[in-house]
Amino acid sequence: MIRSDAVVKPMRSIGGFFAMSLDTLVQIPRKPFAWREFLYQSWFVARVSLLPTLMLALPFTVLLVFTFNILLIEFGAADYSGTGAAYGTVTQLGPIVTVLVVAGAGATSMCADLGARTIREELDALRVMGIDPIQALVVPRVLAATFVAVMLSSVVILVGITGGFFFSVFVQHVTPGAFVGGMTIITGLADVIISLIKAGLFGLAAGLIACYKGISVGGGPAGVGNAVNETVVYTFVALFAINILASTVAVQATL
Amino acid sequence: MSTGVVSRRFPRLQKTMRSWAGGWMRVGTQTQFYGDTIRAIGAAFVHYRIEIVRLIAQLGLGTGALAVVGGTVVIVGFLTLTTGALVAVQGYNQFAQVGTEALTGFASAYFNVRLIAPLTAGIALAATIGAGATAQLGAMRINEEIDALEVMGIRAVAYLASTRVIAGIVVVGPLYSVAMLMSFLAARFGTTAIYGQSTGVYDHYFNTFLNPTDMVWSFVLAVSMASVIMLVHTYYGFTASGGPAGVGEAVGRAVRASLVVSAVVVLLLSLAVYGQSGNFNLSG
Repeated sequence: MIRSDAVVKPMRSIGGFFAMSLDTLVQIPRKPFAWREFLYQSWFVARVSLLPTLMLALPFTVLLVFTFNILLIEFGAADYSGTGAAYGTVTQLGPIVTVLVVAGAGATSMCADLGARTIREELDALRVMGIDPIQALVVPRVLAATFVAVMLSSVVILVGITGGFFFSVFVQHVTPGAFVGGMTIITGLADVIISLIKAGLFGLAAGLIACYKGISVGGGPAGVGNAVNETVVYTFVALFAINILASTVAVQATL
Repeated sequence: MSTGVVSRRFPRLQKTMRSWAGGWMRVGTQTQFYGDTIRAIGAAFVHYRIEIVRLIAQLGLGTGALAVVGGTVVIVGFLTLTTGALVAVQGYNQFAQVGTEALTGFASAYFNVRLIAPLTAGIALAATIGAGATAQLGAMRINEEIDALEVMGIRAVAYLASTRVIAGIVVVGPLYSVAMLMSFLAARFGTTAIYGQSTGVYDHYFNTFLNPTDMVWSFVLAVSMASVIMLVHTYYGFTASGGPAGVGEAVGRAVRASLVVSAVVVLLLSLAVYGQSGNFNLSG
């Protein structure tokens, strides 16, 4: 006999997630908008993410540039290393690195915070007082994650390309002028805009998943720990799934 | 009657120095924990063999809600599947721009092995087995189960941390094989079935440029990533504090730290292995 619980439970969480996402999207334009919470959350996510993002962006791009340059030097086309660095950083590494950290640092804290509040029944107390927790807590958090992801991804792209430049020029002896000149050969404005849109989508997904996992938590400290663990896993899975779809669309749009 | 307290000299300087010292203290305690964990690996093998086997099963298949979607294997496989497909999407289209789309098989054999699969697998490992370990150990710490273990005379570091590091290293072999296969299959499927390249062309360039030595190094990268990820995550779980929210924050901090550390490990190992020459010969 199949335990109906094992089938029904994931279905119910998927349904709950979509219901909450819909609620959130409906509540975004509704007044009063929780400005204070939004600013506080944005500042919080930016503060915990900024340093790790930069520390993650550098090794990722240096590795990309290193691997790519081995190939180009073998071909005798090292002058094009800027092209590869810019294309890889703008289309993939920028948005991905940003959201890995926004999901790993910001979303986990959001989920832990909301989860602890759920366990202490603060959310029920809010509802009793006639305050919608979605409007007061979830909407500002989701928007903050989206906003910070977009802002951070541009920083990541800048830092990544700068790191790639220094590594190529000073370690692999690429001509600096050729590196800079090659950057815009296949990477244009459309790529940059799509990259920012991608980062925004990732941030939105991370915020929604974190908030859903946070407000649907149960079972004490172990429950919060598991919810945060699931947040990390599901955001990473969602991130990679969205990434392949968005990249396919982007390739069609820009070529 | 209130007695006046003499204010300390140079309060700001003292505060800065104390936060500096605190930072160094943290580095020190972390290093000490890693040393203890690695040193206790022998003891874990001798005394807690059953626990190791249990953890290997748990890490490989996942627990709770993650087991429902198929566990660690499926998640690692899925993440590398999407990044492998990226090779097809971006590689094929960019190569087609200059009329060399036949080389997509080469891109799969070269970039998947050296760059994409190790980085993606590191991310996936940190999210699944790493974060899971932190959540478990953090909940144990908050519930004072770790203290209870020590009271009962069980070596907590060996029993909880070392066993997890061993299990992580054991589990990463099959997991990384799945990751590699998935990224190769996705790149091949995308290029041949969706973009319509003939399978013969793809396989020819793929097999020509697939370097067995690179594959071995790729596995070395994966194993070293798994060990640092498990070390970092067990540390943050072991030292979690501050109630239910504290467990969550520990997981977040651990994921952040282990992503950075594993990326740096991959970078340094790649630089050491491939070096200036690159160990790559186009003409064979």
